[in-house]
Amino acid sequence: MTHILFIALKFIFERKRQTFVSITGVSIGVAAFIVMASLMNGFQKYFIEQAIDLNAHITIKVKPQTVEDKIVKRYYGEDIIADVYGAKPEEKKDKITNYRFIISKYSKEPDFLGLAPHLVGQAIVKYSTLEKSATVIGIDPIQERNASVIDKFVENGNINTLLTDRNSIIIGKLLAKDLGIDRLNKKVIITFPNGSQGVFKVVDFFNSGITSLDQTRLYMNIRTYQAMTNRPGEVNEIIIKLKDVNKAEKLAKKIEAETGYYTESWQKAYKNFLQLFKIQNYITYMIVFAILVVSAFGIFNIIMMIVMEKRKDIAILMAIGYEKDDIIKIFTVQGLLNGVLGAIIGTVLGYGIQEWLSSIQIDVEGLVRAKGFILDRSFVYYVYGVIFAFVFSLLASFYPSYKASKLNPVDIFRSG
Amino acid sequence: MKTIIKLSKINKFIGQEHILKDVDLDIYKGEFVSIIGPSGSGKSSLLYIMGLLDSPTSGNLYIDGNLINFKNQREIARLRNIKMGFVFQFHYLINELTALENVIVPLLKRGVSVSKAKSIGREFLYKVGLDGKEDRKPYELSGGQQQRVAIARALSNNPEVIIADEPTGNLDSKNTQIVMEIFKQLNKEGKTIIMVTHELDLANQTNRTISMKDGKIVS
Repeated sequence: MTHILFIALKFIFERKRQTFVSITGVSIGVAAFIVMASLMNGFQKYFIEQAIDLNAHITIKVKPQTVEDKIVKRYYGEDIIADVYGAKPEEKKDKITNYRFIISKYSKEPDFLGLAPHLVGQAIVKYSTLEKSATVIGIDPIQERNASVIDKFVENGNINTLLTDRNSIIIGKLLAKDLGIDRLNKKVIITFPNGSQGVFKVVDFFNSGITSLDQTRLYMNIRTYQAMTNRPGEVNEIIIKLKDVNKAEKLAKKIEAETGYYTESWQKAYKNFLQLFKIQNYITYMIVFAILVVSAFGIFNIIMMIVMEKRKDIAILMAIGYEKDDIIKIFTVQGLLNGVLGAIIGTVLGYGIQEWLSSIQIDVEGLVRAKGFILDRSFVYYVYGVIFAFVFSLLASFYPSYKASKLNPVDIFRSG
Repeated sequence: MKTIIKLSKINKFIGQEHILKDVDLDIYKGEFVSIIGPSGSGKSSLLYIMGLLDSPTSGNLYIDGNLINFKNQREIARLRNIKMGFVFQFHYLINELTALENVIVPLLKRGVSVSKAKSIGREFLYKVGLDGKEDRKPYELSGGQQQRVAIARALSNNPEVIIADEPTGNLDSKNTQIVMEIFKQLNKEGKTIIMVTHELDLANQTNRTISMKDGKIVS
């Protein structure tokens, strides 16, 4: 192996400028991969983590079903046949009956960490002259903690106040902002769909970082909500926390089969986003792939050029007793060296860009809210980056090396 | 005398052209043989086949009495490495390497360590009168010096046979004589040398001269 390295190193380092350019190409590709992957996965993981925490792993719901082909009226007479169809939801009560049994049944099973009942509905919140609609979630603060990490998102940790003061509410941070509420203990008027109204005190803000939730959510004690809407003891949603979030889909199906209620796993709830992330990933990886391909062409170029220039050297090496394999190795090693050096510089560069990005303070407001970029600085991306550089440089240098090994020394000696 | 290379009914075609026609030849150990002939007579082709650089279209080649199988590329390369040393009209030195590094390239292929190879290489450079020029790059040397580095490289593996294809073709008469003296000295030390040339007075300095014409040995 010494003879191969000896010659390969001499060949490659005599071409400093070309080598520099091709190494730079590889390092940009590797750095781009590392940074893009960590940015994208950082954002996606953050979003998914928040989503899982916020929306329960599985939700048992009552799904309003439309009954098709329901004939409301039928005209029948001479020359007239007409059916009038109605697409109104079937009269199905928005309620989970026997929810206590469901909760106690699944609480005992090992896959489940906790269950909590919800009563969910809509309401109008009024503060001074401003009105906003909100999704009201009636919770039992004690049971809620078994099934969600609501404490994490409540700014001042005043959930227990919902127990002590039945007329207290927790509202989304952005909802509060829209209404012009900037301090706690402000009083708002809530109008429920059945027409009842009540005055409630804002005791805390709910701040998840996910815009769509913070803009609409409103928590109150489930008993208060039941009383206000005249639905005593009713529950229309059960949230479930699992030991293993990846089992959500399977367990959701199981519950649906056993109870007959509609269930929604977090994957199903966020299907659109997960789909979007997939496409986003494809696009990013395609771009990075393109960069790596271009850098591979850089390597291909330099090795091809060396092979063309070195025909005489290849001929004499063969005459001296170097085998075809040795020639292939000499040039492949040069390509690999480009790749490996590029990978090393690329990882350092990638690390540097990550450091820089994570130090930037900007307000990101969109799907999620965050200060600065959310990076997933996993070691795995570095490993992949290096592997890609390695594979690409190997592929790029193989053809020129193979070409070199096919040279016939006699042809070269004859032509001088 | 012991035969080192034996050719039997060697034919060589390049495309449609019949380059070598039923050539029989014995090269004895310790000989200094020159091959002369007009260009296109097949002398270089014959030399390349004897040097295992090229394979014949038909016929048998024996080295040290062993039939050579030209299909076994690996073995052919190994034999070239240990048995043969090549000197061409052009020096074919690798520009990126210093004189000394060029000399040790065949040794490295054999698995000799770089430091050991360098000390061997120095001896051979001394032998061709180039001590002190070890670290020069080929383009920093004169034509004669370059050719002497090439000779040192051909010698570094201590081969039995030196294959020389017009080794002085590019040299002035002074350097030509220096190279010839080196060859004669090597021959005295027991090396077998086969040299293609078209200069009669060089051929006259060898033990035996083989003339070729139209792919045949005429004398």
